[in-house]
Amino acid sequence: MKIMKKVQAGTLQSSDLMVFLEPAETLTVTIESTVLKQFGDLIRAKVDEVLAKHGVEAGEVRITDRGALDYAIEARLETALMRAEG
Amino acid sequence: MVTSLLSTDDLKQAQALVAESGLRFELPYGDLVGVFEAGRLVAVGARQGRVLKMLVVAASHQGGTLLDEVVTELVGRGYQEGIDSFFVFTSPALVPSFESLNFNLLVASGKTALLEYGDGLRRYLARYSRQVFPGSNGAVVANCNPFTVGHRYLVEEAASSVDHLYLFVVREERSLFPFPARFRMVQEGTADLENVTVLDTSWYAVSSVTFPTYFLKCDDPAGAIQMELDLLLFATRIAPYFHIATRFIGSEPFSRTTAEYNRAMHRILPPMGIGVRELERKSAVGAAVSASRVREMLARGELEGIAELVPVSTLDFLLSSEGIKIWDKGGDK
Repeated sequence: MKIMKKVQAGTLQSSDLMVFLEPAETLTVTIESTVLKQFGDLIRAKVDEVLAKHGVEAGEVRITDRGALDYAIEARLETALMRAEG
Repeated sequence: MVTSLLSTDDLKQAQALVAESGLRFELPYGDLVGVFEAGRLVAVGARQGRVLKMLVVAASHQGGTLLDEVVTELVGRGYQEGIDSFFVFTSPALVPSFESLNFNLLVASGKTALLEYGDGLRRYLARYSRQVFPGSNGAVVANCNPFTVGHRYLVEEAASSVDHLYLFVVREERSLFPFPARFRMVQEGTADLENVTVLDTSWYAVSSVTFPTYFLKCDDPAGAIQMELDLLLFATRIAPYFHIATRFIGSEPFSRTTAEYNRAMHRILPPMGIGVRELERKSAVGAAVSASRVREMLARGELEGIAELVPVSTLDFLLSSEGIKIWDKGGDK
């Protein structure tokens, strides 16, 4: 799928994350997290997995995380992707 | 649940809560939201454009998630308006609470700290990664409303004494000429200078965020603090990225705010390793050249004299149908 518009999903609360998507020519993913040192790689792997699952090849993906568990990351990112489609 | 505060009673409670925390209830704002518990307001926050302010949680309710909820709501509303980076001014003691919400500290000085949510500064700088030149570079920050022979003189002089000169055009839309028009006049007016790159200041220099009083033109003591933040941000984040060792300014005989800003530059930048060179303003037809003089002449329709004050490229723009639409409000639209 393609990111067609600027959207946001999630919250700034603890154990949650905020996802921002924006159309772009290439795919860039930036992750800010209060637990980046400990879990940065795992967060990144989860984000890449969800993007791959939905065939996202371009767009700007920004994530600000406050220690969300992986299913929360998946749910927030998928919500944002669905909003970005139409 | 976070709700908009609209009724008279809501506002009264918000004012009381803000005052209780020691902050000022400060107009204007676009959004004012809060959280009630049993009819009593326990958290409040406001947003004016990209600035979040008056964020207060009642003493009895601190340590929970109320601040997160209020900020989430304000960011969500701002994002729907197309804003993707948000600022908050706070006291240095509260920096860690905002950092735990993923705000980044941009700059702190004495009593005030400026934080950003949305990673905007890094994205702004990354956009210009291909325009970073090595060497000992210089910078000019100017509004160019419109671009005059005075600006041209300053840029030429500055460019001849540095390896590369960055000319930052103020992004903020508070001027007669809109940003795209100013940017174009500057680009066309400096196209022949090989070591000059024209950039956009975005929100990170002389903007309503870093320097609100520049646009208000008032003598608020808060202005002095924010002038300092503007310059510290330039010195610590922008200048190092572009290898800027010197900032060039024109002497300021007219505007008090700009003269004040120039003085602050001499005071703040050199101790941080950035030289400040103030050049005497160029004169033409008996008085110093200034963009405000050009605007006054445009308003009076004195087109002949303007040719002495602006480069040919600016004159061409002013006389184009697009240019005329901007300054001749009484004419044909």
